[in-house]
Amino acid sequence: MYIYKSGIKVIDDALGGLESGTNILILVPSLSSGDRIGYTISKPKNGEFSIILSTDQPSADIEETLGLTPFQRTHTGIIDTVTKLMSPEAADSVRVKYVPSASDLTGIGIKFTRMVEEIFRGDFSEDELEIFPPPIRFYINSLSTLLMYRRVEVLYQFLHVITTKLKKMEALGVYVLNKESFDERTLSLMKQLMNVVIDVKKDSNQEFLSINGLSAITPDWIAYQFEDGNLVMK
Amino acid sequence: MLRTGISGIDEMLGGGIPGESKVLVSMEPGVDGGLFMATTLVDALSRDRTCLVVIPTSTRDAFREEILSTKGVDIHTRPDRIITLDSRTREDIRKNIRDHSQRLAEWKRVICSACTENNVDVAFIYFDLFYEDFGLDGALSVLEMTGVDKKPVVVVEHLNLEGDTFIEDLASAGLFDLVFSIKASYTGVPFFNFLTVEHISWTQLPRRSVPYLISDGTIRLYIPKIIVTGPPASGKTTFVNNASEYGISTDRNDFRGSSTTVAMDLGWVHLKGFDISIYGTPGKPRFDPILPQLFKCAMGAVLIIDVTRPETLDRARQLLTMIQQALLPVVLVANKSDLPYTLGKEEIRRILNLPEDTIITFISATRSSDVSCVVEDLVEQIIMFPY
Repeated sequence: MYIYKSGIKVIDDALGGLESGTNILILVPSLSSGDRIGYTISKPKNGEFSIILSTDQPSADIEETLGLTPFQRTHTGIIDTVTKLMSPEAADSVRVKYVPSASDLTGIGIKFTRMVEEIFRGDFSEDELEIFPPPIRFYINSLSTLLMYRRVEVLYQFLHVITTKLKKMEALGVYVLNKESFDERTLSLMKQLMNVVIDVKKDSNQEFLSINGLSAITPDWIAYQFEDGNLVMK
Repeated sequence: MLRTGISGIDEMLGGGIPGESKVLVSMEPGVDGGLFMATTLVDALSRDRTCLVVIPTSTRDAFREEILSTKGVDIHTRPDRIITLDSRTREDIRKNIRDHSQRLAEWKRVICSACTENNVDVAFIYFDLFYEDFGLDGALSVLEMTGVDKKPVVVVEHLNLEGDTFIEDLASAGLFDLVFSIKASYTGVPFFNFLTVEHISWTQLPRRSVPYLISDGTIRLYIPKIIVTGPPASGKTTFVNNASEYGISTDRNDFRGSSTTVAMDLGWVHLKGFDISIYGTPGKPRFDPILPQLFKCAMGAVLIIDVTRPETLDRARQLLTMIQQALLPVVLVANKSDLPYTLGKEEIRRILNLPEDTIITFISATRSSDVSCVVEDLVEQIIMFPY
């Protein structure tokens, strides 16, 4: 079974990383750096690929702000649901695919599949596939936006299919959700689809995370911050 | 008739979709099936049909660009032929009308007006948000086109999040004249897409699944395997060679210099809208242990006999049993009919105990035209065969 390094020291030290097929929900408060935890987990390591579904930021901005290495840049694809609203003529490339709106779950599914197909066929980057099936990290940033456009029951059904496919593909799924914007029932439904939940809280100016669902790790609150783009535990 | 623009499907439907029909294209999440409706739209516009597109998840321009990038066709070169109701229409309705049932009524009014005023031939409706906003009954009522004198063909694309039962229920309820479902099979390698004709109202067609490939914005139906089998030296390799646009053979010479197939012959052909892979089996009994593997995933079989050598029919009967055990449609080919022979159709049927409906065709496999006719016959059987 393939193990994905998470970039979170507590997880990687205790377990070596996350097993393939894991789906992780990151529950964040408003105005926190929680979505950066998602980017940390979803950055591809050697031999891996990453697909980011962006519902809030245009792909051009993400590429700028992620601070990717040249390898990560050529192994990361973005499904962009934002740009087409302003620039309908934006055309798909191998590493950036556009969907007209975050409400278009059909389009999101199709573009995701096309990108995965390109990775499997070896068309995504010039490098040879080192591992088969190719390890893929899929990050949805964010479920909050999808929930603004679609009913929770519909999104639940959609994610049920996606998380199941990621398991079959031996991929890793990462999802971020603003826990302050939705009711308990919504949070509970989303949690049902996941193996691991990372809860984030803010206290004064310090942020904490708690990891739930991994038996080797107790769900204590751990202070963290980002230093030079890396997630550092205090 | 409205053509789908996908030749294999039009063939299966008997030429296309009759006027005033309602068609449902139901897609599993993540399956690359959006091209089905896009292909039908582009084909309809190319035939000067007036089309209405109702796509609440996108804008008119984004949809136009999507079709341009996938099909290479600008659907707005004839703006009088295409009318679009898009996400802005939905926003307007949501903003201006608070009451749920009045919103539904307004959608119906807007769609019906667009059809009447523009004399629309085909309405393409993206169903998901209607279903989500108004429930199944409400969403289905949008498709009724009440008050429209000249009812258009209605083609609906739907993201099926509810599984097979939902589609079976819709198909059996007779709400649509034609129901396709589009799915992907996820195994070790995840991308094996296939189309299933779940229901059709105007002709007898059994529920049928056909794999498909997408190449340069074109959907090509795919028959992954047709088996060509028969006794040794009956002409299988010649048949596969002449049936195929290209292929490979695994014939090897024995010590006396005569050649025999030792694994399989492999050929590919595009015929009647289908991409077809043809597998020729070895004929000698010592290769029988590998035949079940070759028969796996086959959709049909050609059984070839040498009509000049009646003594080989015992071996043909053994191979026919294997085909029947694999539950495949079969065409029997009496080969070498350009040479002197005495076997007649009825005698072959009697010796092999062939069912009445099994086609027997006398050919010479050296003639490509003969061979193509056999493959066409088998494709027709595959379309109709209740697997």
